[in-house]
Amino acid sequence: MAAILQNLTYQGIPIWRHDQVIQWTAQVVSGFLVVFLVAWFFFNIVGAVDEREIPYGFSFLERAYQTPIGQHFLPYETSDTFLYAFGVAAVNTIVVSIVGVILATLLGIFVGVCRLSGNWLVAKVALFYVEFFRNVPLLIQLYFWFYIVLALPPVREGYAIANRVYINNAGVSMPFPFPDGAAAALFWIALAAAGIIAGAVVQRSLAQREITTGQPSYPLIGGFATAIVVGAVAWVVISLVAGAPLVVSQPGPQGAFGRIAGGFTVSGGLMALLMGLIMYTSSFIAEIVRAGIQSVGRGQIEASRALGLSPMDTLRQVTFPQALRVIVPPLISQFLNLTKNSSLAGAIGFADLTNVAKTMTQTAPAISIFILIMAAYLAMSLTYSLIGNLYNRRIRIA
Amino acid sequence: MSTITEPTTTQLPPPRSETGLVGWLRANLFSSGFNTVLTVVVGALAGWALWFGLLWLFVDSDFTVIKTLGGLLLIGQYNSEQACGEARNCFWRPQVALLLVTLMLGMSWAVAGGGLTKRIAILVTVVVALFAFLPYSLERMGWDVRLLLVANVPALLLGWALARYTALGTWRWVAILAVVAFLLTLVLLRGLPGVPGLQPVSLLYWGGLMLNLLLAVAGIVVSFPIGIALALGRRSRLPVVKLLCVVFIEVFRGVPLITLLFMSQVLVPLAFPENFPLDSLLRAAIIITLFSAAYTAENIRGGLQALHPGQAEAARALGLPGWQTTLLISLPQAIRNVIPAIVGQFIALFKDTSLVYIIGMLDIVELSRKFATSHVENGMLPYLDDVHEVFIFLAVVFWIFCFGMSYVSGRIERHLGVGER
Repeated sequence: MAAILQNLTYQGIPIWRHDQVIQWTAQVVSGFLVVFLVAWFFFNIVGAVDEREIPYGFSFLERAYQTPIGQHFLPYETSDTFLYAFGVAAVNTIVVSIVGVILATLLGIFVGVCRLSGNWLVAKVALFYVEFFRNVPLLIQLYFWFYIVLALPPVREGYAIANRVYINNAGVSMPFPFPDGAAAALFWIALAAAGIIAGAVVQRSLAQREITTGQPSYPLIGGFATAIVVGAVAWVVISLVAGAPLVVSQPGPQGAFGRIAGGFTVSGGLMALLMGLIMYTSSFIAEIVRAGIQSVGRGQIEASRALGLSPMDTLRQVTFPQALRVIVPPLISQFLNLTKNSSLAGAIGFADLTNVAKTMTQTAPAISIFILIMAAYLAMSLTYSLIGNLYNRRIRIA
Repeated sequence: MSTITEPTTTQLPPPRSETGLVGWLRANLFSSGFNTVLTVVVGALAGWALWFGLLWLFVDSDFTVIKTLGGLLLIGQYNSEQACGEARNCFWRPQVALLLVTLMLGMSWAVAGGGLTKRIAILVTVVVALFAFLPYSLERMGWDVRLLLVANVPALLLGWALARYTALGTWRWVAILAVVAFLLTLVLLRGLPGVPGLQPVSLLYWGGLMLNLLLAVAGIVVSFPIGIALALGRRSRLPVVKLLCVVFIEVFRGVPLITLLFMSQVLVPLAFPENFPLDSLLRAAIIITLFSAAYTAENIRGGLQALHPGQAEAARALGLPGWQTTLLISLPQAIRNVIPAIVGQFIALFKDTSLVYIIGMLDIVELSRKFATSHVENGMLPYLDDVHEVFIFLAVVFWIFCFGMSYVSGRIERHLGVGER
């Protein structure tokens, strides 16, 4: 004991000012406090759950959900289980997230490049776009688009474009290919995927040829042609053997109320959600792109122009590949933001993950649902981070 | 013999086509064929949009719904009969809170000695005072309300004089008094039981822009120190502290704010004993603050990581203890480097205050939306068609605040010389 004390009061430093003593005390105290708090919350929840006889655990997942879900991309009946309904809602969020991310990135890059345009008018219009959309809460933007859709004429007086596309306050209905016979469709999709892979391989080898020989080889055109030819040939062959893999379903008014049936309907909520998310997020992406492009040294651009590359080629071949290294990390966090922001869908009546989970808490234990939601969003974040990091590793300077 | 005369070189002015308006137009709009086409097309589109925008604004739009909403936009149901009793004499409390704000603005003006602070202070005060002259009937907007609005001008001058001619004229005092004023505002708005004129007003009835601003200010003030603590904790060498901070930050960053907010209504009440005095608005405010703190922590951590280790090493070599190294050397530089990100986070926080609709609070967005879509008069919904005017108006209101914040942040950045040292 005395030895320990002597060791601690080393060089006359009193025990309470000893670095390690302070650190360990801090750790033990903070750890203890947190454990105490968590335990307190936990026992309170257990007590409340017991008292109000709320069922807990995950047994509810097997029960029928029995609540309709507005728009859904997977087939869904109210007799399906909670687990399946949760999956349907998750797919809704994932679809919104993927479509939103792709369109917001394209629009963001476009606006970001416009911000740097030598044309004063174009630069100013892009600046206005960015400053407006990023400084207005997403909720207000969503409401704005949503009430525009709601202000469209009702179903019977809605617009019809060539009797193919119907626009009314229920949303936009358009022709859409649905699988006709699952086996044939799956087979065709597999072949189409093979065609895309073949196209990618052709594009690569043509690009390689262009680089090594200097002969123009049109890699993009060659790649696309390969993919399309493979897909088309597969389509024809499968149609001859087993009937058309995909049948285009045409929307059209049906029944006494002229409701639009068939085709694929993008509901007003989904349209407003995508519109709002894309415009909001693209204004942030535009600034990221601009900062990335500006981070590339002037000398790079001047050198490439001196070598005779056109401004467009300079942007595509010199500036952008270098800017990507600066752009990608913040871009991924914008993708995550878009995914998380899609939870505002509840305000405009689109059944995303959060909105469905919120409804579920009325008939199922909230704590289990919260754990499920956290896991779902965590999985999405990790996926985006993983893809982003892999890409980032590929483009960074080795 | 010939004399060699120096060739007289008179400097010719640049050709007319390279200077002035014509030169500018040529350089910026018509420098090449492609640019000319671009200018014409974009100009036509922008002109078309502008024309129809203005046409809508001045001819087609109907902003009576905003006029009808009036004070509701600012303080929500705070002065309603349910909230405040039949006398409905609570309006002066938010107004006095506003006077405190202009007082503080006046003091900051005097301490900063002009410049941007002065302009902001005067602009805000003038705009607020001009509200007193809105063309409402005296029944809807009485003399007392108007007088209290005009009183913002003397309040500003009083604040300026206080800071100029007394010992209170330092940033330290301004900061202390600002915190005092904020707490005073909360007491004033909440009320004190038993004090005449200060009858308690339930948090349920706080609303309008007042609610957004209160949530934002409280969130910013409280989340900043928590964020710093979390950032330091995450970089700490102590494994337990580090683990706790990482878990906290990642949980709050991993889930959307909406999810957290609605869980705060469903789950958090279960986690506390019954009758625990934790109002739903308070819960939401805590969640928003913690959410913002997690993001601020990551921003500050970025700043700390970007700092050259030589800074801390030099401080230690000079004999500064660890906490002084952190507080006086590392943190100030780290924070200065990430001002844009932090202000961006604060702007996001202000925008996120509109999400309190999910707990049933009537902030400025939800209040106006509800009013426009469900206010019934003579069995009709008179404002349903004007719902777009409402959202355009709200967009402009939020835009002014958010753009203002980012403008000020840019000025501070330039003032501190970020990116120059």
